[in-house]
Amino acid sequence: MIPSDHFVRFYNEVFKFLDERDGLQPYYEEISRHQEFHCLKEFREKGLQGVYEYYQKIRVEENCILRITMEKDRMVSFMDRCPSLSKVLDCDAEPCAKYCEHCSGWSIPLHTKAGIYYVENMMGPKEPRCASVRTESRAVAEQAVADFLASGAKVEHIFSNLDRWEEVEKNKKEGRRP
Amino acid sequence: MLRYQENNELHLDFHGTTNTTLNYIADHYGVEALKGILRKTGREVYKSIHEKLQKGDASELLEHLNWFYFREKGKYQLTVEPGKIVLEVFECPAIRHLRKLGLEPSPHVCLQTSEVNAGMCEDSPWRSEVQVLGEGHCIQTFTKEDGK
Repeated sequence: MIPSDHFVRFYNEVFKFLDERDGLQPYYEEISRHQEFHCLKEFREKGLQGVYEYYQKIRVEENCILRITMEKDRMVSFMDRCPSLSKVLDCDAEPCAKYCEHCSGWSIPLHTKAGIYYVENMMGPKEPRCASVRTESRAVAEQAVADFLASGAKVEHIFSNLDRWEEVEKNKKEGRRP
Repeated sequence: MLRYQENNELHLDFHGTTNTTLNYIADHYGVEALKGILRKTGREVYKSIHEKLQKGDASELLEHLNWFYFREKGKYQLTVEPGKIVLEVFECPAIRHLRKLGLEPSPHVCLQTSEVNAGMCEDSPWRSEVQVLGEGHCIQTFTKEDGK
């Protein structure tokens, strides 16, 4: 058994293997399908409240230093210390340079299916912190991207599903709770 | 002393992601590739255990086995004698959690034990073996070549 505590260090080995074979993206999609099992229903039915509740659980179980605020039209989160990248940086094996990308890699397809916009500022591949905005409003998501860039974020560190906005809107209409 | 000290909250759902990953790698790249990743994990992630075993020192391996099966509330028995370590796991915490989630354990689920153990022992006087006796029930044996 790989202890659940050490999963991310194994994950890091998997990423390095897949990156050498240009195979990360299909794997992220598979992990995203697996994550649907844990949270898609809640995200679809409860919208942002479902996302909020899921991340409150994650905050505790994964020992995150995470601030989440719910506003009228968005959920804003600041991961001040990401336990996942922190463990990968505190590891005798070399970190995968793309390690952080897995988070948006699985989150974007899942949020898109739930009809929720996802915007993340990764900050940097060796910085165990990030910021993100989830919203049901395309305009709010676009503003979040603009705000991250205005704050000095690098374009390559911004991840969002805005390029899939039609799918987000369609899924929002079809899947949202009554 | 353990290289990776973990003593805070557990996120057991990671066993589900491991299970998905085992299937994904085996299905897309083959079982030998999966074994390669797991062995490398044993050698490089658990470098301190590996290096100690190369010097004949199993102290961190013992601590690792005991702490993480205890921490995840496994049912197990660890028996140590000169040159031999036997860990019998009666109820594997990973498989127990997969069943709790309603997930089917991967046909490769036990490779995470056998191959990581083998990776930790590579190029050392220690050899590892895993006998699977049933779902969630195995005997992991580490034997030192000189028996001391």
